[in-house]
Amino acid sequence: MATIKKSPSYWKMVWRQYRRNHLATWGLVFIAFLIVMALGAPWIATNKPLWCNASGSYCLKAPIPYTPTQYNLDESLMPPNRHHWLGTDEQGRDVAARMVFGSRISLAVGVVAVGIYVAIGILLGALAGYYGGWVDQVVSRAIEIMICFPTFFLILTLLAFLGPSIYNIMIIIGLTSWTGIARLVRGEFLKLKNQDFVQAAIALGASDSRVIFRHMLPNALAPVLVSATFGVAAAILIESGLSFLGFGVPPHIPSWGSILSQSQEFMDIAWWLTLVPGAAIFITITVYNIVGEGLRDAIDPRLKV
Amino acid sequence: MLGYVAKRLLLMIPTFFGITVLTFFIIKLAPGDPALMRVQMQGMGKVDAQMAAQIVEETRKLYGLDQPLYVQYGKWMKRLVTLDFGESYADHRPVIEKIKEAFPITILLNVLTIIIIYVISIPVGIFTALKPQSWWDYGSALLLFILYSLPSFWVAALLMTYFAGGDYLNLFPIMGISSFGAESLPWYEYVSNVAWHLVLPIVCLTYGGFAFLARFARSNMLEVIHQDFMRTARAKGLSEWAVIMRHGFRNSLVPLVSLMGSLLPALLGGSVIIEQIFSIPGMGRLGFQSILQRDYPTIMALTAIEAVLTLLSILLSDLLYAVVDPRIRYGDD
Amino acid sequence: MKKRTIVALLALAFVSCISRIERDPGILVRNLMDDPAHLNPYTNTSAYASQVYAYIYESLLVADNTTLAPKPWIATSWEVSPDGLSYTFHMRHDVTWSDGKPLTADDVLFSVETMMNPKVDAAAQRSGYKDLDHVEKIDDYTVRFVFKRLNFRAFEMAGYLTIIPKHVFGDGHDFNTHPANFSPIGSGPFVLAGWERGRYVNLRRNDQYWNHEHLPRLKGIQYVIIPDSNTSFQYLKKGGMDYSDNLRSVQWVRQTESAKFKERFKKYKFFPPGLAYIGWNEKKPFFADRRVRQAMTMMLDRQKIVDKLQYGQAMLVSGPGYYFGVSYDRSIQPWPYDSKRAVQLLDAAGWIDHDGDGIRDKDGVPFRFELVYGSGSPTGDRVGTILREDLSQIGIDMTPRPLEFSALIKMILAKDFDATFLGWSGGFPESDHYQLFHSSQIDGGSNNISFSNKEADRLMEQIRATIDPNKRKELHYMLHALLHEEEPYTFVYLPPALAAVDRRFTDVTAYPMGFDITEWGFKPVLRYME
Repeated sequence: MATIKKSPSYWKMVWRQYRRNHLATWGLVFIAFLIVMALGAPWIATNKPLWCNASGSYCLKAPIPYTPTQYNLDESLMPPNRHHWLGTDEQGRDVAARMVFGSRISLAVGVVAVGIYVAIGILLGALAGYYGGWVDQVVSRAIEIMICFPTFFLILTLLAFLGPSIYNIMIIIGLTSWTGIARLVRGEFLKLKNQDFVQAAIALGASDSRVIFRHMLPNALAPVLVSATFGVAAAILIESGLSFLGFGVPPHIPSWGSILSQSQEFMDIAWWLTLVPGAAIFITITVYNIVGEGLRDAIDPRLKV
Repeated sequence: MLGYVAKRLLLMIPTFFGITVLTFFIIKLAPGDPALMRVQMQGMGKVDAQMAAQIVEETRKLYGLDQPLYVQYGKWMKRLVTLDFGESYADHRPVIEKIKEAFPITILLNVLTIIIIYVISIPVGIFTALKPQSWWDYGSALLLFILYSLPSFWVAALLMTYFAGGDYLNLFPIMGISSFGAESLPWYEYVSNVAWHLVLPIVCLTYGGFAFLARFARSNMLEVIHQDFMRTARAKGLSEWAVIMRHGFRNSLVPLVSLMGSLLPALLGGSVIIEQIFSIPGMGRLGFQSILQRDYPTIMALTAIEAVLTLLSILLSDLLYAVVDPRIRYGDD
Repeated sequence: MKKRTIVALLALAFVSCISRIERDPGILVRNLMDDPAHLNPYTNTSAYASQVYAYIYESLLVADNTTLAPKPWIATSWEVSPDGLSYTFHMRHDVTWSDGKPLTADDVLFSVETMMNPKVDAAAQRSGYKDLDHVEKIDDYTVRFVFKRLNFRAFEMAGYLTIIPKHVFGDGHDFNTHPANFSPIGSGPFVLAGWERGRYVNLRRNDQYWNHEHLPRLKGIQYVIIPDSNTSFQYLKKGGMDYSDNLRSVQWVRQTESAKFKERFKKYKFFPPGLAYIGWNEKKPFFADRRVRQAMTMMLDRQKIVDKLQYGQAMLVSGPGYYFGVSYDRSIQPWPYDSKRAVQLLDAAGWIDHDGDGIRDKDGVPFRFELVYGSGSPTGDRVGTILREDLSQIGIDMTPRPLEFSALIKMILAKDFDATFLGWSGGFPESDHYQLFHSSQIDGGSNNISFSNKEADRLMEQIRATIDPNKRKELHYMLHALLHEEEPYTFVYLPPALAAVDRRFTDVTAYPMGFDITEWGFKPVLRYME
């Protein structure tokens, strides 16, 4: 572990290290692609022309000329074809359009839920690690309590009582998954606290919050980032599992998990309905994990070979 | 050592209270209660408001749900001291009886799962560590991540349709843990019947666990490989294989022990979906159904039991840690 | 490597062969979505338990399979007092419980007293007998039910009351937790033979059954507990069970077409009374106006829903009555799917987009509402999303919201919903809509959508008071026409019951309410356990 405050060159070094891992680098490209797809969904999948020339004689159609909710019962359960690249579902909605919009929900669940728990975890972990004593005792007890709940069971209970909605799913995953980060940050802070630069900052009369957030936190951030990357993958998986049990997002909102769970009953007559969202979920999760692993290898110098 | 264990056990008490209080208030404060489950919708969605009000009031009184929350919690705690978990709202059976039926099944599933995960992933992890950043390392990492990323309910449904359904291959049973009437078979046939039923659920429960453990074993091994005692061992002229097995393997095992404690709650939760899909009457399915039925006593009992189990398994793995790694001593710290 | 795989597969195949267990062809294997909590007909709240104890316990009368009218069973004859308040039943002398003890008037009295006891967890059943005053024992085989006030269902209430044994339940043990809840002693054609929680419930033919004429030929019924409907469908397809009556349209039409399936099973379809509908809450500013409700109906393409989502199996309807019963006027056509007319109606009702935000509004209230329905209903999801999409095209923002059962009931009781999609099946062929649509039932009744119409009130009162069936039919038709015009509900369709039965069973008849398995015979065809 570096004993001085990590300078921007530290991140440069990490990046250089990371680039060596081709698989992880391509993973990052894939995530960038997903983000572009999620942000650009309204222009990728729409039944309105993207652009028309002045006279209106020529129009540029969207790559997927359907909206995710536009249904056509006459085209129910069509296998992939020229018009519907990935086929249609039982209401005759275009699966490709739904997948593009579904990426928004899946990513949002991942990012927001992880954002929430990273924030909670950092705060509690930092407090416990920095102050120690009874603060540490209380936080440690809280962590232990949370660990003892089977998380998935707890999420189900909370969702059953609060009612399923995209926000509830994000918040509940966020509120139940912070223990890992908290333990990580606490550990880092315990290590950092006795180091010279921290002691120096305290001696110079810096306020607690300044010491915590300006001096110590940046040094503890790298492992948090790794953990968060894995967390996004886990959150996407949890969302799809909840959808399967009927606790997912409301039916008019397409998410990969809900598309997949709706396809269950047509499994033997509409393979594309199961294959497309299933593949999308597992490829995305795989990529997030590869990126997380790459990041860890790049950050943790002990594993350098 | 004894003093340490006693201290740890004492520290469990506030944690246990925390868990039960939290569960109690979560399920009570949220909308929907078991009294409302008694109101039935007759044909045409007829719900008679007066009738319903009366049903709800009577049921609440019967279950003591009309009392203040702290009184309800106190009563629950008081009964718990005598290990009485109360009666299920759903069927008026003692909760402990329902758990006794479900518990062995879930334990069977999870113990088998944990064993298989360890047996497969530790060798994989160690061998990948021997040739880091080789194609073999990359390839297995990718494969493990792909396995980890496959949603288990999706795999379960695919396996069921293509390997156990009526339309394609019909190799495995589709549900339950034994055939009906299998109890009358000779024991070896009964065992093979159960094993045959467990194949698909266990596959679904295990494949996702390989990645984490194998990667963990790999990084531990990598760490160990470059330490001085390994170099010394090699210098002594031991064969590479002996070095790896005798020194590397043993030392890389240490952190793996500590993982056992956190694996249990994850598996208990994770088997909800699998138990539901394969109609296995274990703890996961019991918990899921109690949530849907607002069966408070069962939810509380399950949470309490799982909490205690987890606390104990964490303690156990910490103690094991000390046994495996002589550098760690628990004493009066 | 390859060799090893083959060996492993062979080993598995071998294992699976030696484990095959022969099944008794006389035992019907069918599925049950959930374990019955217990088999007590009074404290029961699940529909699953009643499917089991229906073969164990009996009542004074039973409904005839074809006419659905009450016919003699344990009671052979009855008298009604001139004031219509008391009903005297004369019981058979040869009825016995499955443990050999005779079934007498004391058991009937005990059943009623138990149900009426507030300590007994039977509030739901109790509330249905509000009008019952008391029951008298005339002699050992004669009982009289006395009601507080006139109730047109009084006769059926008394006749269909489930009779439980006094000598078993009257032993002083707490009724709610009585051991007999798990080992019932009944008078019916089957007795409980085995029960493993979460796996199966087995019934065996009651060979001492008092009713020799109706002694079943089947030797037993095995209910296999399968909560996941896809799993249970797969299990049926691979031959694990012999019977299912809750197949979905897509399964019945498209997923059971293989030669293998048809060789093994025969498919049946019947229409028990039922309805899938959307109720519009008239307490809300949107739906008080008839024109808005009509517009909503015209925005929902019910024909397409029936043709494509229900694969043509459901039946389009225009009113709440049972299509095959006396209260339905088949000359009344359902409203067409017509968004132009819907827009005109909405404009006329004053729902116009005044502020230009793309959503229609009136008096400053934007036309934005929720459609609530039970979660886990694929039909609800589909109807909800389809309607949402169509309404969004004409400036109405509707959100489908699946709710868990208890939350849904709570909302409906509090009248705190905008619109609700509900479906039901079963019940009586001649329906009485008083509870649902009479304005007196808004407070404390079942008129949860607060529908209020003087003319409809008058018709419903008359129907209740009319004895002459022809006259009543006329009134039913008038009410149907009025409700079609007022459209308190959007009547979507009459759901079908779709079943598959193993071909080894003989004398299988699909009655409007389902099958009567006590009539079935079987051919000795060998089947295996899965």
